[in-house]
Amino acid sequence: MNVIYPLAVPKGRRLCCEVCEAPAERMCAACTVTYYCGVAHQRADWGSIHEKICQLLIPLRTSMPFYNSEEERQHGLQQLQQRQKHLIEFCYTVAQKYLFEGKHEDAVPAALHSLRFRINVHGLSSVELVPAYLLLAEASLGLGRIVQAEEYLFQAQWTVLKSTDCCNATHSLLHRNLGLLYMAKKNYEEARYHLANDIYFASCAFGTEDIRTSGGYFHLANIFYNLKKLDVADSLYTRVSEIWHKYLNDHYRGLVQARVQQMDLLGKRFENDTGLDEAQEAEAIRTLTSILSIRESTFNKTPQKTVFVLKTLVMLCYLMMNYSKAQEYAMRALSLAEEKQLDAQEQNAIQELLCLISAEDHPIT
Amino acid sequence: MSKMATLPPLPMTRPKLAALARQKLPCSPVTIPRSQLIKEKDDIDHYVEVNFKGLSKEEVAAYRNSYKKNICVDMLRDGYHKSFTELFTLMEQWDALREVARIRSLQWLQKPLEEQPDKLDHFYHYLTRAEDAERKGYFEDVYQNLYALACYFNNSEDKWVRNHFYERCFGIAQLIKIDGGKREAEAHGNMGLLHEEDGQLLEAAEHYEAFHQLTQGRIWKDETGRFLNLLACECLLRTYRLLSDKMLENKDYKQAIKILIKACEIAKEGSDQHMQGEASYYLGLAYLAAGEYNTALTALNTYSKISTDQDDDLNLGRAYEAIAKVLQSQGEMTEAINYLEKVVKLARNNFQSLDIVRASTMLGDIYNEKGHYNIASEYFQQAFDETVGEMNMPLMEETKVHYGIAKAHQMMLTVTNYIESADLTSLGYLLSWKETRSDIEPQPVTGEFTSSTVEDVSQNSEHVEELDFQITKKNET
Repeated sequence: MNVIYPLAVPKGRRLCCEVCEAPAERMCAACTVTYYCGVAHQRADWGSIHEKICQLLIPLRTSMPFYNSEEERQHGLQQLQQRQKHLIEFCYTVAQKYLFEGKHEDAVPAALHSLRFRINVHGLSSVELVPAYLLLAEASLGLGRIVQAEEYLFQAQWTVLKSTDCCNATHSLLHRNLGLLYMAKKNYEEARYHLANDIYFASCAFGTEDIRTSGGYFHLANIFYNLKKLDVADSLYTRVSEIWHKYLNDHYRGLVQARVQQMDLLGKRFENDTGLDEAQEAEAIRTLTSILSIRESTFNKTPQKTVFVLKTLVMLCYLMMNYSKAQEYAMRALSLAEEKQLDAQEQNAIQELLCLISAEDHPIT
Repeated sequence: MSKMATLPPLPMTRPKLAALARQKLPCSPVTIPRSQLIKEKDDIDHYVEVNFKGLSKEEVAAYRNSYKKNICVDMLRDGYHKSFTELFTLMEQWDALREVARIRSLQWLQKPLEEQPDKLDHFYHYLTRAEDAERKGYFEDVYQNLYALACYFNNSEDKWVRNHFYERCFGIAQLIKIDGGKREAEAHGNMGLLHEEDGQLLEAAEHYEAFHQLTQGRIWKDETGRFLNLLACECLLRTYRLLSDKMLENKDYKQAIKILIKACEIAKEGSDQHMQGEASYYLGLAYLAAGEYNTALTALNTYSKISTDQDDDLNLGRAYEAIAKVLQSQGEMTEAINYLEKVVKLARNNFQSLDIVRASTMLGDIYNEKGHYNIASEYFQQAFDETVGEMNMPLMEETKVHYGIAKAHQMMLTVTNYIESADLTSLGYLLSWKETRSDIEPQPVTGEFTSSTVEDVSQNSEHVEELDFQITKKNET
């Protein structure tokens, strides 16, 4: 029963495609509450988000069961709200992760879901919609649909402008996306203005040295790099890698300390983790690798800084338990340090990291 | 919709909004070439920009946002991220300080930084310049810009901002190599000042020592044309003196003397007579406090010699006074008196009434101890007369008491003589004195003691006992 006939649907009830809102012709057989205009969209949705939330949609889209008392009814409504809120967050994170992995096509359905649930919960003119708009804009930008991205962004900007209680974090995100939009349009003047705003708001929200602020610096650096102002770009890239290095280093030290203190008690080791969510991890990898490639291609006069980025990457991969990658980066750092004859202290530090990684890679059992 | 009215007709059959709406969902099939859409949108923007003269984006931003935000955004736009961070942290600290002041309900007169655009402008101007220079590696310029900021905030309210920039200057100065360390020396001097104001004398001394060492043998001058080396000596001596004062308070004589000897050596190297004299003076005082009278005398003699060479009566007076103190502690009263008389003479010549008071009181004390009450009261009166001219109430009260004591001593002798002789004439004298309570001596008895009776005399005898006690104590030490 995958196929439905629009003409056979009861009058007044319109079934729309989950993705494009055209009249539906197919239905998901697993949940039977989701409809599509064709196989292409069903496949796209399944691959993006539907597989993960298929069963969760059922209670939201079927009518509420009959409750005997007001109390139970309230409870049921509350549960519904809870589910929706959970789905908002879940779809948002999934979409964000796709974006950071560069799978823009996949991100769209997930982001659309997030937007739809947000509208259901908060209404049409709420600031809560802004993050979803921003995701969609980012996805559209990634797909090269600039006009569409602009639409979403202006919608978001208008919503923010009208509301009085918009938090700094949202402001920052909005400006970052506007900056990216203008970058894509090659309007660097505007882009710089918006990215500057992004950094300002992010600093107000998280502080100037937070990893969430570093994104603004990174994009700004890219602009200056494109404008061939290499000294400015260099100092900004350095700043970004320093921020990440500091965060990862602190986290790593904390982990080691916890391990030393707890080892004897429980006899069990702490698992490595970065303390970041998946989207942030993806961002970290993307940011640091692109800084690395830029450093290697353009700023090869300062091997010190390249080694610094490599070290940060080693730490990141190590914490993400991607040991082979970590080892590769560490070897690169070491060979570079030897080649350029950096001071012994630097080389020792890398050696130390290498030992650590190989110990993890082949645990002594 | 006013846009629509003013736009020239476009070669489009479809209404534009409908087209856009169709484009809106990412999965809908693309029918209009994207380039055309972009062109259309840009045309609209351009058209509006040219034909509708309104506020520019900058103007809108300036109106909507705070000045603080605009400054920050301006900095970041041009890539001055370090300046931004610095300004941002300073503003946070500023707010934190305000908050602390508010909690302690102190009167905090400073407005928040956002409301002081000229200060923000200064920050913007100098910080961006400094960052520019830093990128290019011109540390000299960086230093100058930061120093300019420090100077701008050199007032009592913004001292902490100044201190912050002094510290930054210090960091930068270490990187400047070409000027032979002049900047580094200056930065050390500034850091010394900073610590000195905070009362961290040891750190201050450390910085001043570095300052002094770096400027040794150089002919650098500061903005006002003073030699840096001299300045360093002066600061170092001042800090050493404060340090030794603290040690003397804690009865740590050995350390204090050690430091002051160091100060003397530095003053000698500085080849400034005045400073050298000053250093030996304080060294002498420290020796006196430690009870090493002979060494104290040598130090003070150096001081008096230097002062004589320089024709500096004021310092000479101080030297003699200190010497007299040492001599008095040694029990060599005649010499002490000699010196004190010199002091009085010098002070007379220079109209230093405070010095006269001090010296006269000391003289009076000495004579009092020796039992020459007549002379003692004379000196005390002298001191008292000077204080009357000075309008210094507490000092006046003090000398009054001294004077009174001396006077009482003076009279007591006569009174006891009369009582001991125990004849009628003496009794008559005593009675008549009791009647009038004045003329037992030709001089009238002034002050509180005019109204006093025999009780008073007994009180005075107590004073005498006290004095005796003091003398014995002094002799013991």
